[in-house]
Amino acid sequence: MSVAAPARLPRSAGITRLRREGAIAPITAFAVFFLVYVIINPELLTRFQLQTASNLVVPLALVALGQLLVVLVGGIDISIGAIMSLCNVVFATQLEHVPVPLAILLAIGVGLACGLFNGLLVAYGGLPAIAVTLASAFIFGSLAREVLDRPGGGITKAIYLATSGELLPYLPVSLVWLSVVAVLLWLLLQRTALGRHIYGVGSNMESVRAAGLDARLTKLLAFGLAGMVTSLGAMMLAASTVTGDPRSGDAYLLSSIAAVALAGAAFTGGRGSIIGTVLAACTLGLIGNLLFFAGVNSYWQYVISALIIFTVVGLPVVWGKVAFAVKGRRP
Amino acid sequence: MTSSAVPASQSPAGEPRGKPLGWSSARRVGSRVPRSIWPLIAFLVLFVIGGLIRPNLITVDSLIGTATFAIILSIASFGQTIAVIQAGIDLSVPNTIAFSALTFLGLVGPLGPAGAFSAALVAGAVIGLLNGVVISKLGLTPIVTTIAMNGLLFGVILLVFNFSELTAIPEFILAITSAKISVLGLETAAVLPLGLALMAVLQLVLSFTGWGRSLFVVGSAAEAARLGGLPVDRIRIGGYVLSGVLAAFAGVVIVGYYQQASATMGASYLLSSVAAVVVGGASIFGGRGSVVGTVGGALVLAQVSTLVAVLNLGANIQQLIYGVIILLVISLYGRRANN
Repeated sequence: MSVAAPARLPRSAGITRLRREGAIAPITAFAVFFLVYVIINPELLTRFQLQTASNLVVPLALVALGQLLVVLVGGIDISIGAIMSLCNVVFATQLEHVPVPLAILLAIGVGLACGLFNGLLVAYGGLPAIAVTLASAFIFGSLAREVLDRPGGGITKAIYLATSGELLPYLPVSLVWLSVVAVLLWLLLQRTALGRHIYGVGSNMESVRAAGLDARLTKLLAFGLAGMVTSLGAMMLAASTVTGDPRSGDAYLLSSIAAVALAGAAFTGGRGSIIGTVLAACTLGLIGNLLFFAGVNSYWQYVISALIIFTVVGLPVVWGKVAFAVKGRRP
Repeated sequence: MTSSAVPASQSPAGEPRGKPLGWSSARRVGSRVPRSIWPLIAFLVLFVIGGLIRPNLITVDSLIGTATFAIILSIASFGQTIAVIQAGIDLSVPNTIAFSALTFLGLVGPLGPAGAFSAALVAGAVIGLLNGVVISKLGLTPIVTTIAMNGLLFGVILLVFNFSELTAIPEFILAITSAKISVLGLETAAVLPLGLALMAVLQLVLSFTGWGRSLFVVGSAAEAARLGGLPVDRIRIGGYVLSGVLAAFAGVVIVGYYQQASATMGASYLLSSVAAVVVGGASIFGGRGSVVGTVGGALVLAQVSTLVAVLNLGANIQQLIYGVIILLVISLYGRRANN
């Protein structure tokens, strides 16, 4: 049913897809938010503020992409904050001992291992994702504090510049890294068989299985991939704060789920977009900044984030109900 | 849809079987034992293991110490239990705890202890009501709704309360929580009998009232309940209101017991309240669970933390063991519910 329409209308195919994936609302929300932000604080478009703002937003966007991958296959990752903390401290501590590329590979490897651990238990153990990742949140969190029990590690100025500095004037490096990851993920999800299987497993597990595809392997790979993307977010955070911190991921558990929700993804799986998730993370991540510049107590950011989620996610539902009621009254 | 009718018809009790005895019948007997018994048995086993390692751990005082720690976690998890039974989850427990505790301390001056206590519970009820309305009327996922509510409450807490003023804790609350009282000749903190009484009342409500049973029906088969004419939305909203009230009650109890309050005082209950419910044998998909089981789950977790403290292994190992226990429990009975 979703195959025929985009083929006939190639020009509007992208829009159709975005609408199906629930991305219109978060994109609109971000556009409005960005406009308000620039009106209140035109200084955003200065080099320093662009750099700070993108360093703030990029780790959240990457972790939210990790959460999105798990949500797409119908799961949820409660351990994502713990995975982030673990990769963060592994990266920071290994920098003291091994060359930088090896430390990066180690951190990605740890993220992959965490994701595969969850994925194995969910896909092949047949256990509920929420319960498995609750357990692994305890396990990965304790491992992170075993690796490094207080903020520290060997992150250098050079690493800060390579991840969180500026590539060109007005172009923060962190945004470049985020774009690279987002585009690669988009290609993977939209242009490879695995990506289509990930959407398929989330929207209808039985049909995928009946079509002779390996649904469990797809789930496992989605979890593993999510772990890798999360580890990238962890490294960006470690580098931009110039420390490894075993508690740094804690706040990202709830905010990554909030970003995915705001992105219009379905928590039953099969619906959700990369661009929506990235923009949702940008919106949620910058609210505190905006309030600061507007001269409002920045504690309001928690209230406003919640209201944005309720509005953006709830409005289409209310709209649908109203439309249904109006249509239903017609003879 | 059609295949779901088959399993329901294949469990008549009098069905003749080839093998009358053996593993399958043992398992059938096992499945008749209420699930809430298993965590209590696990606790006793851990208690005896503790005694084998350190004989001086098998004392009534040690038991009461562990039980007191467990009952506070239980009180914080009762609301979570109600939410999980009706196929939801309440991730706003942490900041409901903090919000009600701070509301209580903030209002105890103008309203007096009883008034402030009622205000805290009403605050919990309003939080639960909002959760329930958004979940059942707007159709947002329970996880997302309660996470957003948790964030919203955090903002409200930071904006509304002036932390330097919140220090005086009234006698009334100390008397029902941290005061030492003597029950049947045993010296215990007052919170232990209070928590057990609350457990008994809640279990009676869940097991023997129509509303309590309807929570289980909504949790296991919401669509069937709707077709059967149950007011599913109203039942669900009621469940979240109760969940909020119980979390608010936990906030006041925690303030009384630990005699301090802060904006992040509930943070540790985010995962541990779900852990106690899961270890207590509830199904994370809803329709199954009990507050007695939750107390059992909390006792298991508390006994682990006692053992870890005695063996001097450190808080990290404790968290690791919590994770392994949850994995064990869900691998024992998490699978059947999935598909």
